[in-house]
Amino acid sequence: MIRSVERSASAGVDAARAAATILDLGFTDLVSIPDGESRYLHRALLEAPGIDVYQPTREGEGIALAAGLWVGGRKPIVVLQNTGLMEAGDAVRGCGLGPHIPLFLLIGWRGYPGAMEGSLPIDSAYPYTEPILDAWGIPHRLLMTDDDLGVIGEMAAKAEQTSLPAAVLYGYGFRP
Amino acid sequence: MSIERLDLFRVLSARRTDEIVVTTMTATLQWPLVSSHPLDFDFLAFGMGHAADFGLGLALARPERRVIVLKGDGGLLMSLGSLVTIARYGPHNLLVLLMENRSYEMTGGQELAPGVDFALLARGAGVEQVERIEDLARFEAALPRLLTEPGPHFIVLPVTNSEPLPPVAHTDHTQRVVRLRQALGLA
Repeated sequence: MIRSVERSASAGVDAARAAATILDLGFTDLVSIPDGESRYLHRALLEAPGIDVYQPTREGEGIALAAGLWVGGRKPIVVLQNTGLMEAGDAVRGCGLGPHIPLFLLIGWRGYPGAMEGSLPIDSAYPYTEPILDAWGIPHRLLMTDDDLGVIGEMAAKAEQTSLPAAVLYGYGFRP
Repeated sequence: MSIERLDLFRVLSARRTDEIVVTTMTATLQWPLVSSHPLDFDFLAFGMGHAADFGLGLALARPERRVIVLKGDGGLLMSLGSLVTIARYGPHNLLVLLMENRSYEMTGGQELAPGVDFALLARGAGVEQVERIEDLARFEAALPRLLTEPGPHFIVLPVTNSEPLPPVAHTDHTQRVVRLRQALGLA
């Protein structure tokens, strides 16, 4: 079931507020493959004290890097696009679901705005995103406006409580 | 020239003290023949080609402790970009020992693309401490330096194996993580 959020002036999330939320939750490391929608969040965290930022070359690599950080005692957050999630499937399975490593994933939902607007052709990355997360049993919530920022803490807590990956999907990106 | 892999492991195990050792693929089968240490970590089935990426994360998280990754050349080809990331973030405490056998040994010995120069790839990615060591005596002589001097170090070791491989140990993945975190004082 796709939960639609109509695009409006409030669509998207303030990058500074999202960064502050992430820092308040005690994340120590950002592992991020840049995409267009997350660039302002990436920049805000790059400039923030108290969090180390790593930019691997592909998402599977980033998932394994984050798993190593967590096993070593850190609290990483992984920011990636849904296309990268698909690339990283084996790493998500092997470094998250299998060994019960509580990876917290902030996933850009490429194709979501177009799908909501009825634009054609629909980006092929769009329809597979939630079914893949559901198939893996990765719980996820939607982050579409500033009013949704609480889902970051909610799903981060879910990952810690279950010692399994949990995710937040953002559909409209982060505003400067 | 090449090095018998189990001999290489015996030499490494004899010198190893409190380093984390991450193994993958055939190294997971033979390393336990020479080592039983709480800081040994079997990465088999944690993600194809990602042992060095995981080791990089461990090294960044635990700067006070050296992390040794024992991985193969086939696995490296599955995540070549990790060389760039290792070079970029350059943790001083990471030592990658690349077992170069020019094949996917674990899956039946299928040959890799010929002519790949793994040391050159690492240098081209920006890793500064890159060496190719082709005999056991030189490896043994280099180990004190590799285990103490700042890295990251990326060492290419041409290996052969004439020993029968033990069967895969299907140990619980979650418990592998729990044991390592306990050994690190985290759980």
